[in-house]
Amino acid sequence: MNPFIPRKYLDHFWTVAGAVNIRIKIIGIVLGLVFLLGLAVTWQVRQLLSQAMYAQLSEQAVAFTRDLAARAADPILINDVYALHQLLQDTRINHPNVVYAFVVDPDNYVLAHTFNGGFPENLSDANSATDDAYEHTTILNTSEEQIWDTAVPVFEGRAGTARLGLSDAQVLQTIDAVTGQLLLTTVMVSVIGISAAVFLTWILTRPLLDLVDAAQAVGNGNFSYRVTRWADDEIGKLTDAFNSMIEALGKADAERIEREQSRVQYVHGVITAQEDERKRIARELHDSTSQSLTSLIIGLKTLEDNCQHCRKQTRVVELRSIAGQTLDDVHTLSVQLRPSVLDDLGLPEAIRRHIADYRKRYPINIDLAVTGMDGIRLPTEIETALYRIVQEGLTNIIRHAEAHTASIFIECSTDKVLVVIEDDGKGFEITNVQHQDGHLGLYGIQERAELLAGALEIESEPGRGTSLFIEIPLHTESAELQENR
Amino acid sequence: MRYLWCLFLVLVIAGCNSTQAPTSEGVSIDLASLQPLPVRYNEGVVPLRVSVAAVVSPRGTAESYQLLLNYLSETLDRPVELVQRRTYQETNDLVESGEVDVAFVCTSAYITGHDQFGMELLAGPEVSGESVYYSLLIVPSNSSAETLQDLQNKVFAFTDPISYSGRVYPTYLVQQLGHTPDSFFSRTFFTYSHDEAIYAVADGLADGAAVDSLVYDFALERDVTLAERVRVIHRSPPFGIPPVVVSPNVRPQQQALLQEVLLTMHETQQGREALQALGLERFILIEDSAYDSARQITEIVGSLIP
Repeated sequence: MNPFIPRKYLDHFWTVAGAVNIRIKIIGIVLGLVFLLGLAVTWQVRQLLSQAMYAQLSEQAVAFTRDLAARAADPILINDVYALHQLLQDTRINHPNVVYAFVVDPDNYVLAHTFNGGFPENLSDANSATDDAYEHTTILNTSEEQIWDTAVPVFEGRAGTARLGLSDAQVLQTIDAVTGQLLLTTVMVSVIGISAAVFLTWILTRPLLDLVDAAQAVGNGNFSYRVTRWADDEIGKLTDAFNSMIEALGKADAERIEREQSRVQYVHGVITAQEDERKRIARELHDSTSQSLTSLIIGLKTLEDNCQHCRKQTRVVELRSIAGQTLDDVHTLSVQLRPSVLDDLGLPEAIRRHIADYRKRYPINIDLAVTGMDGIRLPTEIETALYRIVQEGLTNIIRHAEAHTASIFIECSTDKVLVVIEDDGKGFEITNVQHQDGHLGLYGIQERAELLAGALEIESEPGRGTSLFIEIPLHTESAELQENR
Repeated sequence: MRYLWCLFLVLVIAGCNSTQAPTSEGVSIDLASLQPLPVRYNEGVVPLRVSVAAVVSPRGTAESYQLLLNYLSETLDRPVELVQRRTYQETNDLVESGEVDVAFVCTSAYITGHDQFGMELLAGPEVSGESVYYSLLIVPSNSSAETLQDLQNKVFAFTDPISYSGRVYPTYLVQQLGHTPDSFFSRTFFTYSHDEAIYAVADGLADGAAVDSLVYDFALERDVTLAERVRVIHRSPPFGIPPVVVSPNVRPQQQALLQEVLLTMHETQQGREALQALGLERFILIEDSAYDSARQITEIVGSLIP
């Protein structure tokens, strides 16, 4: 960890930097680099340039003044003030940097100058050449600029001193111009950099966005999707790996679907076999066992009539009663196994009878409401399944719910049938129950619903009763079939 | 990351080392507020004003006459001021108007001054036991010219418009050949001092020039290379040496005092050093008749000022 930056700032930076997308990041990197470099170079160049230019200005001031001093000697000595004045004017005109030029005599009286109509206060005293120096430069401040004032003795000081003021305005102008040019270059390079970054980002993010699309497609179950491989770099390798993964997932999904189909077929087979078996046993009980019991009862009745006042009569009556009871039991068992009402009178009537049977046997109040089923018969497998679901639901309520009231609501519309089984029992935690092995009842309901492409939804809370919502779609063709029937 | 920081630090340090624009020393001047220059009042003591005609350049004059001026100042116990002008005529004007007290003038300047406003002789310098000088006709050492005749249609440098050795005498020579300077030479120009005329010839700026023999000898002594760059093709007959004169306005007592100082100058060590700096031995009395030969030629040449 960098010791210079506290972790909290790094974290903060990452929060901001991590939130923006890659395009902004790359543009940020490019811009940051260009600006940092541009500004650093501009600053450094400005420093060096100003150093060099000020050194040059200083040298220029000395050179001009020495030249002036050399040429001023004769006019001063022969008192040719006009020539001296002309010389100063020429110096000023020929060098645009020169703000002023003047000459003082050894007593510091101004002999000639380039000012028009007077002489600035204190200027002649502002600088002077010492005896041991060839020149002396001092920097004067004016309201607009800085002036390099150089003094050079004329004729070793015997004829006075030449003074020249050089402005730094041009130097500043040049430095500013160069700085401006560099900044402009930086901005232009930034613009190019942004374009490059946008292009680069496009190159970089295109495969990534493809991968995102692919991931979404795969998430939606489209395993035939393949990502285009754009380049032979890391992302190219990622693309390859991703494509292989999709392929493997596709295979796995196909296998899963196959397994699922097998399972569904198996379950369907089991349920169908169970129904067939129940039907066969019910028919057997009704046709064979009931007939035999009826014959037995008739036989016992005849026997009872034939041996009136017989010692064994009480015993015969007892046997006939047991046989009648067994016939009732066989009948009930037969109805429970496969109510013929379901085949003959339809689902509502079958359920109604089943409920009536339950009311008789258990102390529970059960309501039934059926809508949209007048004169309509559903396909046999759906009717059977719904009947078994209601049967299973009521069995669960009797066994586990400890409920006083249960209600069953069946609503049939053109495209689906909805069954709601409610009770006011003790309820349960759905998460605790749904996947436990002991609750085969609920699992059976779910299996039956799913076999018919339907769904089971459970709403329950401890102490608040339980509601089962079973929804089974009605296929158009089966619905049409139904109406034709 | 760490390397980046190091780079950044290096940049910062480099930036700190490089200096910004030099800061001023705190002197502020308002160039827009112009004040009239102070009037210069004369001091109580009136200085002795000495003028030296521009025989040599103003700087050369100022340098070589410094010891003499110092000597005069100390001997007379009053400040001495050197007044220089570009031309001989301007110097003569200063003497005439009394703006200077003493003047070292050229021969023809004296003749003109004497005849026009009574310029008075104070003393004459003596060099090698003589108080005469010559006009020397010089050419560049690589020139093929042997006589003045050979300088026809060449560039000729005059010293001062009224210099005797530098203008009057060479004009006289040209006239003897039946020409005027304008018709004889292709071009002429004035250097206003003898040493500059010598350098004009030495540098090839002029093909010939006539100069004061005293200045020539003195210049050769100070710059030995000149002997290789110029040579003399003609030497004039002797003429009266350029004298020291006074304005007719100077009081006789003052004149006498100045004359006394000059004539006894060589008797003191300091005086001898001052004389030596000028290439002179001493000052002697000199008569106006010493300038008759020069006066004669000046008259033959006639007025040089158009």
